[in-house]
Amino acid sequence: MIDSIQSKAAMRHIPEEELHAYLDQGLSRSQCVEIESHLAVCPYCQAARDGIAALRDRTTALLAKLAPPRRIPPAFESLSRRASVMASARRRRIHQAAWAASLVGAIGLGWTANYVLTPRPVTPTAPANRVVPVVSTPSVTPTILRPQQKRTVAAQPATRRARRQQRPSAAAVAESLPVVPAPTLELSSIDIPRTDLDLELDGVWRTMSWDGAQAEAGDKLPHIDGLPVVQVQLQASRQGKQPLMVVAQQLTSGEVIRTIEGPTSDVSQLLARRTMTDPDPSSSGATDTTRSKRPPGQADRTMAMQRGDRMLVITGALPSDSLLAMIRRLNAEMRSK
Amino acid sequence: MDELEQLYQTTYTAVVRFLYRKVWDAERAEDLAQEVFVRALTHRPEKPRAWVFAVAANLARDEARAAVRRKRHLTLLKGDPVAQPTMEPAPDSAVEHDERMAAVQEALGTLTHRDREILLLWDAGLSYPEIASQTGLALGAVGTTLARARRRLVEAHDRQHPIKGSHAAHS
Repeated sequence: MIDSIQSKAAMRHIPEEELHAYLDQGLSRSQCVEIESHLAVCPYCQAARDGIAALRDRTTALLAKLAPPRRIPPAFESLSRRASVMASARRRRIHQAAWAASLVGAIGLGWTANYVLTPRPVTPTAPANRVVPVVSTPSVTPTILRPQQKRTVAAQPATRRARRQQRPSAAAVAESLPVVPAPTLELSSIDIPRTDLDLELDGVWRTMSWDGAQAEAGDKLPHIDGLPVVQVQLQASRQGKQPLMVVAQQLTSGEVIRTIEGPTSDVSQLLARRTMTDPDPSSSGATDTTRSKRPPGQADRTMAMQRGDRMLVITGALPSDSLLAMIRRLNAEMRSK
Repeated sequence: MDELEQLYQTTYTAVVRFLYRKVWDAERAEDLAQEVFVRALTHRPEKPRAWVFAVAANLARDEARAAVRRKRHLTLLKGDPVAQPTMEPAPDSAVEHDERMAAVQEALGTLTHRDREILLLWDAGLSYPEIASQTGLALGAVGTTLARARRRLVEAHDRQHPIKGSHAAHS
């Protein structure tokens, strides 16, 4: 009885797919042993195995006809070089995307903060008492103007006129720059009336292509990744060090921001000249309606940072918070280079 | 030697062949194969062999979709009225080779996508677990699918080209 059951089990033929897997070495060792022991006593399965082996060989032969002409494969090193180029391009894209995202975030936060925190007149009053939005020029004393102070100044036109008549000297303006010496990373902002695209530059300036400027200044060229460059200007430093560099870039809103980097004295003089040549918007009268109508939030602001004996400056019609975030990021970037 | 470099030396030809059987363009197959290995070098996958074939299959699929979008047919060259640039007729052996190849290509085209994919992966040298992992098929079903695919390929070939096959075999 037992022998009969065992012989029946032994005569259970191996399924076709198992024979395929067996020939393809797709079975475990124990399964192979089981199949081989059955094949040893089963002529039917032996014939099936031979047929499947022939079918398998035929398939391989047919597929071998579908082969492209053989060519020498390229050297592995060339693929490695391509991979490194791809990897660096990928890193650069990620870096630029992060920059752009942080820039957008900073601008958004700045505008929001500016909108929320800037006090606005609640009700219209008599013209004599109305708060007139005015952008102040940097005062002789290097202080940060708070909104309340701005309002006080704006509400006292006589005082302002008197101050306007006392234009600061270049040295005074240079000294008044809101810069805290290194190594403290303190920042301060000053409001400068908006100017046209061209800076008031003195001395021999060269307007250069981006590549040319990079060749000269290397990775020290101050700029914000992700923004189109409008203009690059370089001036040889009087101290024979790295040149004074001005990079103008355009935001998607059309506003132009400038990044200035150079020896502290040169940058200070540049900003001082610029301040002196810029007329006060409130005094420009009808000849410059754009300026006279510009609200305070649209005025150029400048954020400066002392970096050893050099100075990094960002100027543009952006809220201070945005400029602050940008100059911090830029400083960190330039330090890491 | 780097593991990927070793894989490249042993598998590049198989990857080109695998891709060629999908895009039917030798140069494009080589380009895609190189792209596969460049990506492998960038990503450094844990199981590079299976990964390489998985990416190759994806690239071939994208290529086929792009080809459909461009309304190019893979068999466009067949009967294409473009003037032959060569003055001399092609040698008989080359003609026979092309005919045999077209016959197998046609037979392969009769298989279902799944059967064809598994047959090509197996022919490229992938193991049963690798095929199962890549195609999502159960391990036990790989043998079944391969058995069916092989049978159908040979049957389709012999049914469509019985005379040419025997003639080629005897010549």
